[in-house]
Amino acid sequence: MLVIQFLMVGQRMLPAGIRLFAVQSFLLAGIAAVTAYSHHVPEVYLVAGLTLAGKVIVLPWFMLRLVRQVGIDQEHRPWLNAPSAMLLCGGLALLSYVVARPFATAEAAGAHTFGVSIALMLSGFFLMINRRRAITQVLALLCAENGVVLAAISLTVRGMPVVVELGVFFDLFIGIVVLSILVYRIRETFSSIDVDQLNRLKG
Amino acid sequence: MLPAAILTLPLATGLICLAVRSRRWLEGLNLGCFGAVAALAVLLARAVLEEHTVAGMGRFLYVDALSALVVGLIAFVALLTAIYAVGFFRQEERAGKVTPRQVRRYYRLTPLFVFAMLLVPLSDSLGVMWVGIEGSTLASVLLIAFYNEKTSLEAAWKYIIIGSVGISLALFGTITTYYAAVQVFGDAAQTQALNWSTLSLVAAQLDPHAMRLAFTCVLLGYGTKAGLAPMHTWKPDAYSEAPIPSTTLLAAGVINCAIYAIMRFSALAAPCLGHEYIGNLLVGFGLGSVLIAAPFVLVQRNLRRLLAYSSIDHAGLMVAALGFGGRLGALGAVLHMLFHAVTKPLAFFCAGNVQQRFGTVFLRKITGVMRVLPWTGGLLLMVVLATTGVPPFSMFQSEFQILCAALQAGRVWAAAALVAGVVTIFAGFLAHVSKLCLGLPKPEETRTAECPWKLSAMVLSAVVIAALGFWLPAPLFRLVTEAANIVGGTP
Repeated sequence: MLVIQFLMVGQRMLPAGIRLFAVQSFLLAGIAAVTAYSHHVPEVYLVAGLTLAGKVIVLPWFMLRLVRQVGIDQEHRPWLNAPSAMLLCGGLALLSYVVARPFATAEAAGAHTFGVSIALMLSGFFLMINRRRAITQVLALLCAENGVVLAAISLTVRGMPVVVELGVFFDLFIGIVVLSILVYRIRETFSSIDVDQLNRLKG
Repeated sequence: MLPAAILTLPLATGLICLAVRSRRWLEGLNLGCFGAVAALAVLLARAVLEEHTVAGMGRFLYVDALSALVVGLIAFVALLTAIYAVGFFRQEERAGKVTPRQVRRYYRLTPLFVFAMLLVPLSDSLGVMWVGIEGSTLASVLLIAFYNEKTSLEAAWKYIIIGSVGISLALFGTITTYYAAVQVFGDAAQTQALNWSTLSLVAAQLDPHAMRLAFTCVLLGYGTKAGLAPMHTWKPDAYSEAPIPSTTLLAAGVINCAIYAIMRFSALAAPCLGHEYIGNLLVGFGLGSVLIAAPFVLVQRNLRRLLAYSSIDHAGLMVAALGFGGRLGALGAVLHMLFHAVTKPLAFFCAGNVQQRFGTVFLRKITGVMRVLPWTGGLLLMVVLATTGVPPFSMFQSEFQILCAALQAGRVWAAAALVAGVVTIFAGFLAHVSKLCLGLPKPEETRTAECPWKLSAMVLSAVVIAALGFWLPAPLFRLVTEAANIVGGTP
C-alpha cells in the first residue's frame, strides 16, 4: 500500500504524471481484486473492474490525447520546490496516521490502509494547491479521489452499495469530461492553461 | 409512485430536449415540465402530511416532511425561473449576446440540473444524495461558463475545482458514516446501511470516533456547496458570471440541497456525539460566514456580487441556527430555508432586468431605476427590504427565531455578533440600493416597457413574498414543524 503513497510523492518531479496516475489506479484495482478474492465478495470485483477500465485505460488515454491537443509544454512551476513538497507530504502522511489510529482495529485490508487513504487524499489536495497547470489540477483531484475509493475498500470489506458505487463512478466520468471541455476552452480563450491567469474576479 | 414521477419528469424532459431544435418547443417543454413538477410537489406534500412518509421505487426513494419541503422549494424556484428565462433569453438573443445554439444548451442542461437537485431530497440513501449533489455541480458548470468570456471561464473553473475538493471530502465523510453503520448492522443489511430510514433509528449506537470524522468532513464538503466561509470564494464569481436564470437556481436551489444534507447528517451525528461538538462547529462556520459577508457587502461595487454575499450570509444564518439547536434552532433553520428560497429569486430577477436594461452591473454606473423601469425598481426595493430581514417581511420572523434560539442556548456573544453582522448587511444593502433605485436617471435614459414574461415571474414571486409576511398557511406550517422535528431529532 505504501508504494502508492510514494508514487504519488514521486509524481511531483515527473512530467509524465498521467502515466503514474494510471499505475496508481492499477494498484488500486489490484487491491480491490485481492480484497474481493480473499473475502469472497463479488461486488468488489465490480469496483476493481470499473477502476481498471475507467481510471487505468480510458481516462489516462483521454487525458494524454487532451495534452497532445492543447500542446502543453513539459514545464511545471510549483510554488514549493520538490524537496520541501516531499517533506510537507511526509508531514501530511504522519497526520493521516494519527487521524486513522482509532480505526486501526476493525480494518479489512491491512492495518495501514485507512491511514494511506487519508494521506493520498491530503497530498492530492496539496498537489492541487502546489501546481499551476489546469491539467495537473485535474490529475491531483483524481489522485485525491483514488484515496477516497481506497478508504471505501479499506473501511468496509464490501465497499459501498452498488447503486452508490455506480453513481459515484458515473459522476466522476462526467466530471472529467466537463473539466476537459473547460480546459479546452480556457486554452482557446487565454491561449494558455496556466491557472495563474485566471485572476480577474476579485472582491 | 409520486416521488418517482417527480424525479423522472425532468430527466425525461432533458433527454427529449436533446433532440428538439426549435426554441419555442424547448421553452414550452421546460415550462410544462416544471409546471407539472410543481403541481406534483404540492400533491406530494399533501400525501406526506397525511401519511408522514412516502416511499417509492422499492426503497430507493423516501420522502418525509423535510424532504417534501425541500422538493417543494426546488420545484417553486424552477417554475419561476422557467417563466423568467423565456423573456430573458429572447431579449439576450435579440441583443446579440447569445447565439441560438447557446440558448438551446441552456434549455437542455437546466432540466438535467433540476433532476440532480431533486435527487438529493428524494433519495433514501445518503450515498445517492451525494451523487445528486455532485451531479448538480456538474450540470451547472457549463451553465456558469455560458457566455464563454474570460471571466466566466475563470468563474466556472474556480467553481468546479473548489466544489470538487469539497465534494470529495463529503464522499469521504459519507464512506466513514457507512463504516459506522456497518459496525452496527453487521454484514446482514449491507445495502440498507446507508439508508436514512434505517440509519436514523440506530443513530445513538453509531461509533462516535467515526461519526466525528464523518461529520467534520461532511460539513466541510457540503458547506463548500452551501457557500460557508472560508470555502465561499467561488460564490461571488459564479453568481456574477452565470446567466441570471442559472444563478437563481444556484442561489435558491443548490443551497437548499446542501443545507438539507447538512441537516440530515447533523441529526445523525447528534445522538452519538452529543450536541456540544456539532453545535460548536456549526455555529463557528455560520457565524464566520455572516461576519465575512458583512464587510464585503459594505464595499461592494457589483450588484450581483452584492447578492452573492447576501446568500453567503443567509447560508451562515441557517447553519448557525442548526448549531444553536433545540426546538427553536431547528425551527429557525427550516423556516429560514423556506423564506430564503422564496425571497431570493426575485432579487436575482430584478438584478437581471437592471443588467439587461443598463448593460452593466456596476453600482456606480446605474442610477434612477425607479424612473426607467418602475416595476423593477419598486420590486427591487421591496425584495432588498425582505432579504435583509425588515419586518413585516417573513425573513424577520425566522431571523428573530434564530436569535431566540441563540439566547436560549446561552450563546449571548454569538447572538450579539449575528445581530451586528445582519445590521451591517442591512445598512450596506440599503445604501447601495437606494442610490440605485431612487437616484435621478441620466437625462438620455427614458422609461422602457417591461417584458411580460419576466414581469409575470417577478410579480408572482412578489405576491408570495408579501403573503408569507403576514400569513403562513396551516398545512405549510405543519409541514415546517414536522420538518423541524426531524432536524431536531424529536419525532
